[in-house]
Amino acid sequence: MTRNKLISGLKPVLFTLPAMIPFVLFWLAPLIYVLYLSFTEWDFMSPTKTFVGLQNYTDLFANPAFYKALRVTVLFCIGSVLPVIAIGLGLALLMNRKLKGSGFYQALLFSPWVTPTVAVSIVWSWIYEPEVGLANTVLDFLGLEPLGWLQDPKWALAGVLLVTVWKSAGWAMIFYLVALRNVPSDLLEAGELDGAGAVQKFIRITLPMISPTTLFLFVVQMVQALQAYDQINVLTQGGPSGSTRTLLYLYYQSAFESFQIGEASSVAVVLVFICMLLSVLSLSISRRTTHYQ
Amino acid sequence: MRTSMLSRLGGPARHAFFAVLALVMAFPFYWMVTSALKTNDEIWASPPTLWPAAPLWGNFAAAWNEAPFARYMGNSILVAGSIVVLQIFNSGMMAYALTHMKFRLKGVFSGVILFGYMVPATAVYLPSYLVLSELNLLNTYGGLILSNCVSVFAIFLIRQAFLQVSHELVEAGEVDGASHMRILWTVLVPVTRSSFAVMALITFIDHYNNYFWPMLITKDPALQLVSAGLRSFFVEGGAYGLKWPLIMAASAFTIAPLLLVFVLAQKTIMQSVNMTAGSSKG
Repeated sequence: MTRNKLISGLKPVLFTLPAMIPFVLFWLAPLIYVLYLSFTEWDFMSPTKTFVGLQNYTDLFANPAFYKALRVTVLFCIGSVLPVIAIGLGLALLMNRKLKGSGFYQALLFSPWVTPTVAVSIVWSWIYEPEVGLANTVLDFLGLEPLGWLQDPKWALAGVLLVTVWKSAGWAMIFYLVALRNVPSDLLEAGELDGAGAVQKFIRITLPMISPTTLFLFVVQMVQALQAYDQINVLTQGGPSGSTRTLLYLYYQSAFESFQIGEASSVAVVLVFICMLLSVLSLSISRRTTHYQ
Repeated sequence: MRTSMLSRLGGPARHAFFAVLALVMAFPFYWMVTSALKTNDEIWASPPTLWPAAPLWGNFAAAWNEAPFARYMGNSILVAGSIVVLQIFNSGMMAYALTHMKFRLKGVFSGVILFGYMVPATAVYLPSYLVLSELNLLNTYGGLILSNCVSVFAIFLIRQAFLQVSHELVEAGEVDGASHMRILWTVLVPVTRSSFAVMALITFIDHYNNYFWPMLITKDPALQLVSAGLRSFFVEGGAYGLKWPLIMAASAFTIAPLLLVFVLAQKTIMQSVNMTAGSSKG
C-alpha cells in the first residue's frame, strides 16, 4: 500500500525528468555557475580560480568599453525593435482590408524570417560592397553619396540594423494581422456611430485592443536584440572601432578571444539581469492593462 | 470607413504597392541568384548588370564541390531532427505533468520553467560550454543534440495546447484504466497534433539554421552545421571577395531548402504566430 503510494507519488516527477534533467544541466546550473565565475578571476587554462569578490563588477563599471558596448546595445535595441514593430503594424494595417492574393504578398514579406541569418548576412555583405554593391548603386542612382555601409563607424550599426529589420518585419506583420482580425467589429461600428473618424477609431479602439500583441512583440524583439550575434559576426565582427560591439559581443570576445572568464561572466550576469528586468516589467504591465481574456 | 489614400485608390493601386514592396523585400534573394551566375569579372562590373550576359549555371556545382556542403546539411538535418524528436518527447511529458497530474513540486517546477523563459540563452553559453566540457561532450553530435534538447518555449506551447483539451477526455481514459503514458500519447497528443506540428517545424528551422552555439562547441569541421560551414567557406575559400559568385551560389543552396520548406508548410508556420501569441499569455 505505502509502496504503491510512493510509486504513484513519484510518477509525476518521473514525467518531468526528461525535461528537467537537461534543463537543470544546461540552463539552471550554468546560470548559477556564471554567477559564481563572475566573482572569480580565471583564464580557462590554470587549474585554480581566484576568488576576487566584486572586483570584476567594479572593473566593468569603470571600463569605458563597457559603457560603449552598453550604448551600442541600447541603440541596437531601439533601432531594431521600434522599426520592426512600426513596419509590422503598418503592413498589417494595409493588408488587413480584403485584397485578393494578399496571401502571396504576406508569404513573400514573411519569407526572410525562415532563412539562416548567417547566409542572408553573407548576401547582405555583398550588397553592402562599397564599389559595386547593390546598396551604393541604388544610392548613386538616387543621386546620393555612396556610404561605407560596414566600413564607416558612423554607418556600420545602421547597416547591421537594416538586415535585422528586413529579416523580422514580415514576421511582426503576421502577428499584427492575427491581432487585428481579433478586434471585434461591433466595437468599431459603435465607434463609427459615435462619429469617430478613422484616425480616432484607430487610436481609441484598435491600438488599445492590439496592445497585448505590441507588448509581446516588444519583449520578444528586445530579448532577441540583446542576443543578436550571427549578423554582427558575419557583417562587422563588432567593428569598425567597436561601433557594432554590443554587450553580448563584448561578452563573447572577452570569454572566447581574450579568455578573461571572470570579466566575461560579469557581463553575462548584467545581460541576464537586463532580460529579467524586462520580463518582470512586461508581466506587470500586461497584468495592469489587460482586462479581457 | 477608413479613407486612407491607399484604400481610396482601390484594388489595382494596392496591388501595385504591395507588388513593389514584395519586390524590394525579395530583391536580396534575386540579387544572390543573379550574382551567383556571373563570372568573376562581370560581378565587379560597374554599374552591375541585372542579369548576367551568359549565366554560369555551373557555378552552383563548382561551389558545391569546393566544400563538404552535403556533409554540413546532413549534420544540420541530423542534429535538428534529433532535437525535434527529443523535444516532442520531453515537452509532451512535462506539459502533461503540469496540466493533468497533481504533485507537490508542481508550483516550484512551473516557477523554475517560467524563470528559464526570462534567461537569455546566449548569456549562459560560457558556463554551458564548461558543463559540456566536464561531460566530455565538446566536439560531439551528442553535445550538439543534448545541450539543445529542452526548450522552455516548446513546453509552454504544448502546455497551452493541453490546457485547452477538455478534462472529460482525459478522465474517460482514466476510468478505462489507461496509464498516464497511454493517455498522453493516444488521447492528448492526437488532438493537439497541430501544436506539435508547429513546435516541430519551428524547432527544426531554428536548429537547422543555428550558428553561434554549435560553432562554439565544435571545432571539428566534420561536425559543422550548415551556417558554420557556409561561414567558413565565406572566410577561407572566399577570402572575402575573391570568389563572390561561388559564395553567392553557396548561400543560395543554403537558403533554398528553407524557402522550399516555407512554401510547403506555409500554413503551419504562419499558424505558429497564433500559438506563440497564445502561449505567451498563459
